[in-house]
Amino acid sequence: MESLLAGLVGLPLAVSLLLLILPRQLAKWMVIAAAIILSILSVFAYANTNSAVGITLPHYINEVVAGADLLLLLFFGWIAIKRKSILVGLLTMLQLGGLVYLLNNMPATAAPQLMVDELSAFMFILINVISGIIAIYSLRYIEEEPCSPFRKKYFLSIIFWFIGAMNLVVCADNLEYFFLFFELTTLASFLLISFRQDAESRANAITALWMNQVGGLAILGAIFFLLRSGSGEASFSNLLALAPAGGLLLPLALLSMAALIKGAQLPFSSWLLGAMVAPTPVSALLHSSTMVKIAPFMILRLSPALKDTPLASAIIALTAFVFIAAAVGALAQDNFKRILAHSTIALLALMIMMGALGTPVTVVASLALMLFHGISKSMLFLNAGILERVFHLKNTSDMDRLGESGPFTALVTTIGFMSLLLPPFGAFIGKWLSIETLGSYAVDARLLGAFTLIAVVCGSAVLTLLYTKVIGLLIARSGEHDRVQFEKTGKTYTGTIYALLALIALSIFGLPLLLTHFFAPVAAAASAQDVTVMIKGWSIFVDTMKLPVLPPLIAFFLLPAAIIAAMFIHFRHVDRTREYMCGEKVNYSFSSFYLTADKATPYAITIGVVLFGALLVAALI
Amino acid sequence: MSHTFIAIILIILAPFLGGLVYGLERVIRARMQRRIGPPVLQPFYDFLKLADKRRMVVHSAHAFLGIMHFVSLWYALGVFLLGGDLILVIFLHLLYTALIILAGYSTRSIFSHLGANRTALSIIAYEPVLILIAVSMYMITGSFEASAAFHHPQPLLYKMPLAFVALLLVLPIKLKKSPFDVAEAHQEVTGGVELEFSGIYYEAVYTAKWLDYIFSYTLVYLFAGSNILLGIGLMLFTFIYLNALDNATARVNYKQMLRFSLGVSFSLAFINLLINSLS
Repeated sequence: MESLLAGLVGLPLAVSLLLLILPRQLAKWMVIAAAIILSILSVFAYANTNSAVGITLPHYINEVVAGADLLLLLFFGWIAIKRKSILVGLLTMLQLGGLVYLLNNMPATAAPQLMVDELSAFMFILINVISGIIAIYSLRYIEEEPCSPFRKKYFLSIIFWFIGAMNLVVCADNLEYFFLFFELTTLASFLLISFRQDAESRANAITALWMNQVGGLAILGAIFFLLRSGSGEASFSNLLALAPAGGLLLPLALLSMAALIKGAQLPFSSWLLGAMVAPTPVSALLHSSTMVKIAPFMILRLSPALKDTPLASAIIALTAFVFIAAAVGALAQDNFKRILAHSTIALLALMIMMGALGTPVTVVASLALMLFHGISKSMLFLNAGILERVFHLKNTSDMDRLGESGPFTALVTTIGFMSLLLPPFGAFIGKWLSIETLGSYAVDARLLGAFTLIAVVCGSAVLTLLYTKVIGLLIARSGEHDRVQFEKTGKTYTGTIYALLALIALSIFGLPLLLTHFFAPVAAAASAQDVTVMIKGWSIFVDTMKLPVLPPLIAFFLLPAAIIAAMFIHFRHVDRTREYMCGEKVNYSFSSFYLTADKATPYAITIGVVLFGALLVAALI
Repeated sequence: MSHTFIAIILIILAPFLGGLVYGLERVIRARMQRRIGPPVLQPFYDFLKLADKRRMVVHSAHAFLGIMHFVSLWYALGVFLLGGDLILVIFLHLLYTALIILAGYSTRSIFSHLGANRTALSIIAYEPVLILIAVSMYMITGSFEASAAFHHPQPLLYKMPLAFVALLLVLPIKLKKSPFDVAEAHQEVTGGVELEFSGIYYEAVYTAKWLDYIFSYTLVYLFAGSNILLGIGLMLFTFIYLNALDNATARVNYKQMLRFSLGVSFSLAFINLLINSLS
């Protein structure tokens, strides 16, 4: 395991450095090779993990980590001065103070600093496979970016560094280590968001920085309160071991807050929305396999301790609200990437909520959503990049002729949306599991449960409408274009899209197998309880819940298959006719309806702040 | 066993029964206006006439989506009548409606687009209420299965009267009856999404509307539990109420519809849910 982990961390970091010096052509092959090797390593790591393995690092690493922490904070301080951001400066000072205090008061411990368990291994697969595909895609995307050759290399370099940092985050057990890795991802995202170096990028990067720094500060706070309570070392495993004792809600609440901020939940959603000024592969990375996925990961990690506490109720209330608010917010958007961003926030809320509920079924649902959302979202963002680069389209309202000029891109984008929406795609199953569990939660927790259930179901309905609206524009055409002719967008683009399509196909056909052999063991490890997933006849049993297989299977042939078939079908011996215009000859621009949610945004943020406060209140009472 | 048998018969006959409901509706509405009205079988005569028309499509995908709308609606109805999971039924219902909206968007026709937009807004108006009803039923019967509601010994109506009122208030939206027929609104958007369908392809959309009747009346029947007589009574009442309402009111615009539905109907269903969850 140690060697695998060394590979998973060392390889991306080494590639990250080499990319800066190697010539272009060689760099290209190295990126592809590294992406493939990382994917294989992650699968190996998963196959070799059957229990939590603690990894004790030599003592001098502690000093290295402490040094890196200080260096990082000095760098943040330098950014604060350079960009004249008082907020970043203030947060850096606070972090620095907290860190120095903790370093002086941290009791020496011989406990393993890293720990790889099934959940970490699951995250390895999510991070490395999807980020690898995105890295390959970036090769082509960044070629067309108007910037110096060095900055192109630099871009790829940070992507690999990001992957390395992510691999570290998911296996950190010691909270001080976790703080460093957490802030390393913050730094990577800061550098990527400010990549284009214009005023907007810089401003949004600063927003992302300070918001995530609040998260870092919350982690330091968690360490502080954990040490002060005198319950031993500051690590995830210790926190979980102590969980039944209670009285640890404050550190848990602070860690959850850090998670929620990383997961761009209201009121901290603006950093993720602002992040899309960066080149599109960055959005793909942030939204699908890295960064925001730290949020559900952390909550899942803590879920045995969180389960059934008032804190969990507070998290559930917050995420239920975020789910519906983000879904409604998405309906108000026209920009393609903004639509995707809002739907990411909504689905993250669902994943976090399921993690906080912590029953076997919800943990399975959360994992399924994490993986399938990662696949679908990365594909949609990669398509957004193609739409920008090849078709010069950014807004959905301009896409109504895409079905004629770029039917292939239109088709795969449609499939991407459907995979987030329709049965029997994995994301649908995840949502279904969520809703059915919330039903029993509604009976147990009464008012909160009912509220949560309604928020989730209505939110899902709103998201369905949103996706329908976009798909509608993508499939529009006129009678003259009744036969489709696929366009060519380039090898790298098509190749990566095909890879993701294959993963989506896997998520459909392999779903029963994935549920029993992939999600169930991971969920059992994460929730520290037995999770049984069985297939009996035409039903899948997840714990006590029975999911019929046949209805969603038939629905597949009726819905997604029908929409895909509609792209190809061609009725012969039938006359074509023009649309009925009521005798008018005006040029009509086709647009769709939008909800104007701008007026509601301040209220949504206020409610978000109140619910965030409720987290602390729930912990203190 | 006999329940399943009845359900299967109902599913097979659903388009025919729906056509009859539509025929009866036209007679009742005419009588309310002191007209004689068409024969009860008029929808079927129309059906035969449409089959004979020249075949024309705007483009193939559009016509195909119309057909799939009908097929998936029939399927959703099947799952519903066989006592399937209500959440699944509501989602399938949402999705078959999404297919007709997609068909509307897929053409470059103004009225088709407007109709699709309005259908989508109608979904926002009635879907939350349907969901609240399903959740309330879950809290009473302890299961999301529709069969649990069909077999519930005590009529659900007694425990969720406000939810029933809410259903009555959103049904006109679903069935495109005045005052909430904005999605179809012949005088404004000349039929909306239906407009670009013709001949044999219109047949699918036309009969889908009949299936929607059966779907809606099954929703009403759910409130009677295992009490068949009450169920029939509720359906009859709803039938007369819908037609009287259709005759007596003028169309509102979509904003008023949304405001009313989310303000009044949703609140009613929600209050009912609160009472259920607190008692």
